Amino acid sequence: MKIEVKSWKDPVLLAAVAPLAVVMIAFFLVPLVMTAVLTFQTTQYYRLAWSWDLKIWTEVFSKPHYWTIMLRTVVMALVCVAICIAIAFPAAYALATRLKTFKTQIQILIIFAFLTDAVLKTFGWILILDKNGVANWLLMHVGFPPDALNLLFTPAGTMIGMVYNLVAYPMFTIYLSLVRIDRDLVLAAYDAGASRLRTFFEVTLPLSRPGLYSGAVLVFVLSLGAFLEPKVLGGGTAPLASELIRQSFETRVNWPLGAALTMVLIVTGALMLGLSSAFALRRRSAPGRPA
Amino acid sequence: MVSPIIDAAGIVKDYGSARALHGVSLQVGAGEFVALVGPSGCGKTTLLKILAGFEEPTDGRLEIEGKDMRGVPAASRPTRMVFQKLALFPHKTVADNIGFPLKLQKVPVAETNDRVRGMLDLMHLRPDYLQRYPAQLSGGEQQRVALARALVSRPGVLLLDEPMSALDAKLKKSLQAELKKLHRELGTSFVLVTHDLEEAMMLADRICVMHGGHVVQVGTPADIYYRPANMFVAGFIGETNFLPVDAVRAGNGAQVTSPLVPGAGAEIAAEHIAPSLSEKGTALLVRPESIRIVRNDATAAEWTLEGVVEEYFIKGSSTQYRIRVRGLEAAVIVDLAGSIVLPARVGETVRIGFDPTQAFLLSE
Amino acid sequence: MNAQRFRNALVDTLLVGTVVLLLLFFYAPIATLVAFSFTSSRVLTLPIESFSLAWYGELFSKPDFLPAVRNSAAVAAVSTLFATVLGTAGAVAWIRYRFRMQAAFRALTFAPLLFPQLLLGVVMLLWFSVLGSWLGFSNGLFTVIIGHVVYITPFALVVVAVQVYGFDETLEDAARDAGANGWQVFREVTFPLLWPGIFSAAIFAFLLSWGNFYISYSLAGTARTLPIFVYSGIAVGSSPIYPALATLNLVPALLLVVTAEVFRRRALKRQSSGNPAS
Repeated sequence: MKIEVKSWKDPVLLAAVAPLAVVMIAFFLVPLVMTAVLTFQTTQYYRLAWSWDLKIWTEVFSKPHYWTIMLRTVVMALVCVAICIAIAFPAAYALATRLKTFKTQIQILIIFAFLTDAVLKTFGWILILDKNGVANWLLMHVGFPPDALNLLFTPAGTMIGMVYNLVAYPMFTIYLSLVRIDRDLVLAAYDAGASRLRTFFEVTLPLSRPGLYSGAVLVFVLSLGAFLEPKVLGGGTAPLASELIRQSFETRVNWPLGAALTMVLIVTGALMLGLSSAFALRRRSAPGRPA
Repeated sequence: MVSPIIDAAGIVKDYGSARALHGVSLQVGAGEFVALVGPSGCGKTTLLKILAGFEEPTDGRLEIEGKDMRGVPAASRPTRMVFQKLALFPHKTVADNIGFPLKLQKVPVAETNDRVRGMLDLMHLRPDYLQRYPAQLSGGEQQRVALARALVSRPGVLLLDEPMSALDAKLKKSLQAELKKLHRELGTSFVLVTHDLEEAMMLADRICVMHGGHVVQVGTPADIYYRPANMFVAGFIGETNFLPVDAVRAGNGAQVTSPLVPGAGAEIAAEHIAPSLSEKGTALLVRPESIRIVRNDATAAEWTLEGVVEEYFIKGSSTQYRIRVRGLEAAVIVDLAGSIVLPARVGETVRIGFDPTQAFLLSE
Repeated sequence: MNAQRFRNALVDTLLVGTVVLLLLFFYAPIATLVAFSFTSSRVLTLPIESFSLAWYGELFSKPDFLPAVRNSAAVAAVSTLFATVLGTAGAVAWIRYRFRMQAAFRALTFAPLLFPQLLLGVVMLLWFSVLGSWLGFSNGLFTVIIGHVVYITPFALVVVAVQVYGFDETLEDAARDAGANGWQVFREVTFPLLWPGIFSAAIFAFLLSWGNFYISYSLAGTARTLPIFVYSGIAVGSSPIYPALATLNLVPALLLVVTAEVFRRRALKRQSSGNPAS
């Protein structure tokens, strides 16, 4: 591929880069900085007061209530990562290596489901998981006692919703890294005498690691902000960080608090992102491992 | 050459601090077929891109059809290019691909159609291919479409960037023959970049051998083969033998002796000496086909060496021997006319001989 | 040998089975919604006793419904336009150009993808509120549009980038060589070859914006888009009008996705097989 080195004085580069950069700086980077700044302010009589102190941070760090919910959020996120990867990997692998005939159709179906209105899909899950819902009706018809499943308004319900809304992300990233693997590498492993299983662990899995990592990180980071699922499917029984944030805005009208909680989540996500990319980089530069 | 269609002088091209071309000069006559040959990285493709207008030279002068090409974009040059990967537009039909240069020149539709059909005939492509897309054609057919697109606007110079490197050997041969015929029929100047010397020798009127950003030699195929400028050109042309010799200039010619052939000396005539001959590393270029195996019939003029047959290859019209001679680093390569009876076997000690006055004296 | 073959067949079946189960999982709530949209009953439980289209009528008689559709359509149309144009320009800068601070540009334009939408919404809400109190505006549809553009542009960028990545630049050289000027190269070669990717990106952007809840919810002020209409409705209680709405949503969306994908894939395939050597 031919790549053009461009100077910032080049009007073509400016035209391509500047509008997007301006939008992202003005409405993403600056708001982010603003959020960090707001955490050092306070509210008085439901109004923002510019005070520059650590009051909010002391509150956030000293209340065990927040810690419990933050911890629960992280644990839920990790469980969600595990489940999503466990589903996404074999599915992406099957899509990349089997199912040649229906590949396009299946991909379109997945993309379409991914793009459908999340609120409506979540509502669909209520209808399935409800005590009198579709799932229990089906189970009853194959011989289970009525009300066999009781998932709605439990953390399990929340988890189903989270996995449902996020599993497509690791599928995309893993699929992309799997199709990029040179088929000859797999054949070379067979040729060297490796069994299918051995080849999978020696060649396919290590080479699909970038997709695996990025998919896992995406699920983790996006899980931290799950709001619809705990609210609608979890019924508020085990609130996650998003609920704290909502309350601090809607109930308590305490912006600095909301901002601080938001920052905690962003920093958690960023830490995870940094850790995993450091891990991925170290692996890549390890001796004897092709980049 | 009365008035060259391409006149490039002192072309220098730098990429950052790396110099790809060190002052290259080249002239191409009207209607001439010139091949630029050399190993990868020698600068031949860079030179072609400068001719086409995709790269600006850092220094030097380029005239095409007598006009200075500085600042003239590719679109306005009298050159057209056939790309290495053909670069057929995948979203346009064969007809639209071939007719594209005419469309840009706002040639009337009726005339465009006529000329596209004419190109199709010239390239021996079936008329029903016009509405197909490039992906629906075979490699050889795509090749012809690419040629047709480049030739349809009747350019003064056709530039070809290794257009046959992706084809299989048999298809390549037949397209080479067609290309040569096309060149003769059209009278357009062709400049072909290739790393395949055999292709260059078959097709070109003149060959320009490049190495490390320099032009090493420009000449007819016979010049390049029989009178190479130095050991690089001689070695690039094909597997060959260099016998280290001591040379002393005698008039226009030279007197040579070799430590491997004690007591023998030979007079080399002026036309068998490379013009660029220097004192250092002089050697006799002895082509494999001019060596024979001698029994007891060595002539007085012949130099003979003793060696052991290391390997032989039956190539059909000839049989190639590799003979290990004490005192020589590389095995001596000998091509003998093919014969059902093998003159020597592996491991056998043989005596080989050649006439030094028919060899070519050159240096590193 | 036979045992080996059996094991391979088992693995194949399991792998294919995963995909089938995953598709069932993806479409379970969607199919449920479609089924319940035709019920005649008010309660959303199985079995469905009798069919009716009554709830579609009920949906349209809701006074909030059509304004929400209008708002969603306006937001989606404008956001799509901006996200597609910005994303296309960004994709070209990502893939084809090298320039100083490119790493920063990439990070800045990709980061919103790594943000939970809720947090993205909150962060922008805080900024717009501060800005609003300074400049004297309150949040409404235009802040939603800005939010959608920030969130959706990275998606559009990635979709177009795939097309740019598969783009063979010698085709542009070939056009130039054939006598095309800068504008002709763009019109005849660059744009037609990138168009399928841009079109897909636009469809992607439109549907992401149309169905977006989190960012709209944070930034809409008192305005309502369709997902907010649904959210506030189901917070009060289930009603078959929502399945009806979901079903109405589905058909045009499916058509759009299928057209865009078929279009894009055909072009990618043509592009990759157009050159025998590549």
